[in-house]
Amino acid sequence: MTNFSFLLGRNQLALALGAIMVASLPWWAGNQYQLHLAALICVYWILISGLNLVIGYTGQLSIGHVGLLSIGAYAFAILAGKMGWHPALALVVAGALGGICGLALGLPSLRLPGFYFAMTTMAFALIVNELVLAQGNLTGGGIGLPGPIFPAPLDSPKGFYYLAAGMALLVTWLSWNLVRRIWGLGLMAIRDNPVAAQAVGVPLFRVKLMVFVFSGITAGVAGAMFASLQSYITPDTFVFELSLFFFVCIVIGGRGSIIGPFLGTVILTAMPELVAPLAKLGHFFYGLLLLVVVLVVPEGLGRVFELLLERLRPRPEQHQAIEPDLPRLARAIKEQG
Amino acid sequence: MLTVIISGLAIGMLYAATALVYNVMYSTSKVLSVTTGHIAMLGGVFGAWFVTTLHLPWGLGLLGGIAVGAAFGWFTEVLAIRRVLNRGDDHLWLLSTLALATMVQQGVALWWGTEPKPFPRLFAQDFNSGVLDQKFWLPISIAVLMALGLELFYRRTMYGKLFMAMSEDAFAARARGVSTDRIRLMSYVLSGALGGLAGFAAGQLTFAYFALGLTLTLNGFIALAVGGLGSNVGALIGGAALGLLNAFASYWFGGEYQQTIAVGLLMVVLLVKPEGLFGSQKVRPV
Repeated sequence: MTNFSFLLGRNQLALALGAIMVASLPWWAGNQYQLHLAALICVYWILISGLNLVIGYTGQLSIGHVGLLSIGAYAFAILAGKMGWHPALALVVAGALGGICGLALGLPSLRLPGFYFAMTTMAFALIVNELVLAQGNLTGGGIGLPGPIFPAPLDSPKGFYYLAAGMALLVTWLSWNLVRRIWGLGLMAIRDNPVAAQAVGVPLFRVKLMVFVFSGITAGVAGAMFASLQSYITPDTFVFELSLFFFVCIVIGGRGSIIGPFLGTVILTAMPELVAPLAKLGHFFYGLLLLVVVLVVPEGLGRVFELLLERLRPRPEQHQAIEPDLPRLARAIKEQG
Repeated sequence: MLTVIISGLAIGMLYAATALVYNVMYSTSKVLSVTTGHIAMLGGVFGAWFVTTLHLPWGLGLLGGIAVGAAFGWFTEVLAIRRVLNRGDDHLWLLSTLALATMVQQGVALWWGTEPKPFPRLFAQDFNSGVLDQKFWLPISIAVLMALGLELFYRRTMYGKLFMAMSEDAFAARARGVSTDRIRLMSYVLSGALGGLAGFAAGQLTFAYFALGLTLTLNGFIALAVGGLGSNVGALIGGAALGLLNAFASYWFGGEYQQTIAVGLLMVVLLVKPEGLFGSQKVRPV
């Protein structure tokens, strides 16, 4: 888990540097669009850091979290937009609803083995889209709904960015707290060997369910922020490929770490926006990237950096000079003689 | 009412054919590939391309569709299955086949377009023939023929028996001198050919549409899980049940809730009888 333990001395420094960068971003970001992109990364990261516990730590390959994102987004848009609730209250309710739907999805599906679980979560994402289209008078059907904005001072791009970054930090802190204590070890034990985990007393189903519900809550919150950020949501926003994107972010970053999926999220969100030809290829590119990573470095790109650093770092040489103990030798010779 | 039954049965048999394709791959590799539905999608899209765009006679188009499916099956095994199985991590095949499926789907979307395009009619037939229309009986008969053919293949031929041996115990089969790698490759090529055939036969029902693959992957899997993993009869029954349920549900409640009902069926079966209707109850390895 302490993948970057060699940074231990510099950890505090890196953390402070990162905090300064995040906090000062609105001043050095080139334009409004880059600020929007940064906010989008934060919103995605809110979902992905929750999902990372499910995929990266517990090893449950959920490919349907876009359904939970969609539920959070629509709940927020309906409550805060149509019914005129206060956006903060709607945000909380969207998170709670995401958690409840996560519980409803997790209760039957987490008992199933790998492929069955993946298929069930994928079907869940399709079902949510189907229901959104079917309940046209509530969700606007195919036309969609406007996503309400937060009240001042959070209504400007800068204000919203700080809100999103704050939420992202909070969620990161929560998940980091979870994984560095005995819970995290339990999760990884479930991923690596469920039978052994059960044998040493990890309550398999309860732990899996708890983590899944947590990821549902983060997905609901992320959905609400997403609706507000994009300012308009339709069922076409929440295509299945978005789920795949979240999935690829985690797998590419490396399972069982937090910094890896975070870098994966930043790079994968920013890259198609900044490199135009990739945007045309779209999801084909994600598929290709996933395939390459799975075939070449299944441990994720974080592992590659680790290996490189290990190679570059000079190994501490072991100096064990052997000094002859001459007086003793002389004594021994004298005794023999 | 008869139209509802026949159309439900026709789409259900397409699901059943997809479930059979799952079975063929599963028998030798114990892998449930996400690309299964995409094979049938390729069969349909390339069939339409051969016949409509290249103006080939439909017999050649059929052969072309089968060949594309078989080539894709070969490609899947070589690229996404072999290395991953050698590595021995039991979740990686899900990732690699998912990646390949996405690439194929998006590749077809870029090349073929995202609109469903019509599939050519194979036989001269009046468009008003109702339930006797070729778009209904073609997928039904092909799925039944595929199941019968597979059954014959498994029971009567040497290679079929090798498949069976590998599905029982791949390690023991290898110890008895079976080249398990080659048999696995063969099973993927065979499943690709069958998937291409199924996609071609059902082309008039589904149209040549890039997003068909994911739907088929899911619904074929539901048919398989309902009927029982590894059972060909179960695949047919599960597919028929799923298709009929979908058809009647859209007849009574409208077409908006198809996916919900299909997954509801899956959940009910998994809760009541987790091994499926015709599945063998295996001892869980610990």
